[in-house]
Amino acid sequence: MAPGGYFGRALVVDVATAAAVVLPLDEEVLRGYLGGAGLGAWLMHRLAPPGTDPLGAQAPLAFVFSPLVGTPLTTSAKFAVVAKSPLTGMLNDALSSSHFAISGKLTGHDAIVVHGACDRPSVLLVDGDGARLMDAADLWGLPAAQAEQRLRERLGRGWRAAAIGPAGERLVRYATISHDGRHAGRGGLGAVLGAKRLKAVAVRAATKVAPADPGAVLAAARDLRARSFGPATAKYRELGTLANLLAFNAISALPTRNFQAATFAGAPRLAAEELAELRTVARNSCASCTIGCEHIYSGGGRTMRVEYENVFALGPMCGVSDPDAVLAASALCDELGLDTISAGGTIAWAMECAERGLIGAPWLRFGDADALLRVLPLIAAREGLGDLLAEGSRRAAEQVGGGSADFAPHVKGLELPGYEPRTMHAMALGLAVNSRGADHNRSGAYEADLSGDLDRFAGGDAQVAAAVETEDRAAVMDSLILCKFLRGVFREPFEEWAALLSAVTGWDADGAELRRTARRIVLAKRVFNLREGWQPGDDWLPERLLSEPLETGSGRVAALTPERLRSMISGYYAVRGLDPEGRPAQADIAGLGLR
Amino acid sequence: MPTRDETRHTIEAVPDTAGIVLAGGRSSRMGTPKAALEWHGSTLLRRTTGILARVTDGPVLVVRAPGQELPTLPPQVEIVEDPAEGLGPVQGLAAGLGALTGRADIVFVSSTDMPFLHPAFIRRVLRAVADGADVGLPLARGYPQPLAAGYRVTLAPVAARLVAQQRLRPAFLFEECQVARLDEAALRADPVLAALDPDLDSVVNVNEPADYQAARARPAPEVTVQRFGTLADGHRGPHPVRAATVSGAAAATGLALDRHVVAALNGDQITRDGETPLAAGDTVFFMSADAGG
Repeated sequence: MAPGGYFGRALVVDVATAAAVVLPLDEEVLRGYLGGAGLGAWLMHRLAPPGTDPLGAQAPLAFVFSPLVGTPLTTSAKFAVVAKSPLTGMLNDALSSSHFAISGKLTGHDAIVVHGACDRPSVLLVDGDGARLMDAADLWGLPAAQAEQRLRERLGRGWRAAAIGPAGERLVRYATISHDGRHAGRGGLGAVLGAKRLKAVAVRAATKVAPADPGAVLAAARDLRARSFGPATAKYRELGTLANLLAFNAISALPTRNFQAATFAGAPRLAAEELAELRTVARNSCASCTIGCEHIYSGGGRTMRVEYENVFALGPMCGVSDPDAVLAASALCDELGLDTISAGGTIAWAMECAERGLIGAPWLRFGDADALLRVLPLIAAREGLGDLLAEGSRRAAEQVGGGSADFAPHVKGLELPGYEPRTMHAMALGLAVNSRGADHNRSGAYEADLSGDLDRFAGGDAQVAAAVETEDRAAVMDSLILCKFLRGVFREPFEEWAALLSAVTGWDADGAELRRTARRIVLAKRVFNLREGWQPGDDWLPERLLSEPLETGSGRVAALTPERLRSMISGYYAVRGLDPEGRPAQADIAGLGLR
Repeated sequence: MPTRDETRHTIEAVPDTAGIVLAGGRSSRMGTPKAALEWHGSTLLRRTTGILARVTDGPVLVVRAPGQELPTLPPQVEIVEDPAEGLGPVQGLAAGLGALTGRADIVFVSSTDMPFLHPAFIRRVLRAVADGADVGLPLARGYPQPLAAGYRVTLAPVAARLVAQQRLRPAFLFEECQVARLDEAALRADPVLAALDPDLDSVVNVNEPADYQAARARPAPEVTVQRFGTLADGHRGPHPVRAATVSGAAAATGLALDRHVVAALNGDQITRDGETPLAAGDTVFFMSADAGG
């Protein structure tokens, strides 16, 4: 019998035939990897053939649920999509949320894995009757939201779909998978589904799952709900993540014009404080969430969810300050199914290439809103210049040459989020070493940079400790799964998370166990990447960030030298128990329980 | 006020510098330890060490008399004890410079009792030493100011020898090295200093209760605050306030520093330390500690 909150099985579907097999997940695996990103890593070790082409038929892609999904615990209705990334060639997990998580889990599985490829555009349906395919010829080419709407109309109540947009169909390497407008955005997992000719995966609940101690879970849910209304989440409730923009600009942490500056004169026009007054249409929240971080804005004749990363990537990063254009570009990315961070980063790189005469696109200039709106559909359609940019900045720079790799804004192929590493040294380390690539959701080391507890311009041991700690916390939150916007309400996070997990599963987990779990998950991801060809040089930052000091708004010259970064990375490896080149000992790999 | 271009190059810590606060005096005229005198919710010594820490990129040391009690200081402030009490500033200088040998090139040395010491003044004085002198000695408000001056750390053995020779006045030290004397005209030629400390109040010290009371009665320095994100509710844009500490600036704009609020001083270092001292012309940004997303 599975522990509370689990079914103890994954459904593995060959979408070439819709043949499905059940993969038992024993308690040791579940307790060791929890769910979400952690269990996804285990599944990829188990199911992904070594060296598999992420866009090949054999590549598996998993929708992974977690023990807390379906409980009344706030923010727990989340799922992870996990696969080898076509953008990075390494393990990628991307989280999304809302009803798909609940319905997907209540199909009776802790994960739904697809592999193989359909011979025509299809939708995979999974419910109590098992897995089957449905023709999706009429959905092919539609934005994900429209495809979802059609599926709701066709399938009826109770079905929830996660779908790809046109970018995923055309194998853009940073295409998203979305559900209810929320994107599993990073790493190009939409292209993995597109390569399988799967427009969507639709799920319908068929069963129930009970926590081990319903009373304790309910009490914890009430407590957490009350705390979720407190000051730790005020920022997300009241203005959303876009509140970062003006503050980051003030402290020279806002990447601008492809990391050529860290302040943007146009920032006030794009600030949440400004836009919220003028353009807020509504607030919204995911299923099972009491925070309600989504701020729906109007702009350019559309309405759209607005996040800091969207606005950073399509605004300051591209030098665009027209809020209508930035919001329209963000909405366009949603419709096309493009990761806004990678889209903005790749376009910003291309703008710099164009200005340097490295690519023949004189129309593509920093600050040109029309150019921004013109190039996005080209990327999604892989037309002309868009075909190059659909590869992401790393591959595009390899093609263009001319030194453009030095300013391609990526780590491991994943474009950098909106945190300036030269003025945030803890974050610089986190971005360099994380297994997913340059990412702010798997390494929240920026928390240390902004805490006031250390010198954000002088990375050292404290930054190493912060990067490890925040990476560990992310590993657990992404596996339980709880929304990171809730993180500020926990005073003793590992202990409190263990208490939640114990109430749901019946285990006697404690904080120390979850710390070990975090390290196991982090290491399992690194080991997967090693298997797929990771090299020590992959844990590094773009040359620009290490060779071009940055004059901040305060007049300070902020620099991150290769020596300082190397020193922090060495410290990170030491704390993680890795060898000086970042490789784990064989005994540690054997202890991961991977097969 | 200086222009933005003038001030923007004045924020960064001066390279390879450190600070020494000589706190070992007897405070006999004041009648109570000057280091612990209240200063806008903080103490005089806390303020002085904080001002030095803002300008220098190396350690800040407090040299105290043997067994002298000090008010609470941030953990990064180092304490050095004079080997002997009552030998005056050259003894303290020898102890402090000796402790910094190999750790910094230039040191700003201050007494503990200068509540209006401004970062711009320290920068100007340190620059005189960086330009090649052994000592940068201000001549301000009618007197030379050896306890508001810059010294090369390499003077440590010279100071120690003078102490051994019982030659305990700073003038003896100046006889043995190259001194850049900065008169008031030279100091005011610095546009930032001229704008932010036009009367050279940096060197005003408090020796007696009446001095302290008069100084304490002055208004706190004028600084600019700006609140961001959810903290900006109803308070958008920059606002001038008078505050001597980050906590004071927060209070002046209706905020309380807690674990959800941090401050960025002049857009640079981020702090939760409410006792971080402010000086005229500073800008303090308040933002949510829960950054990210």
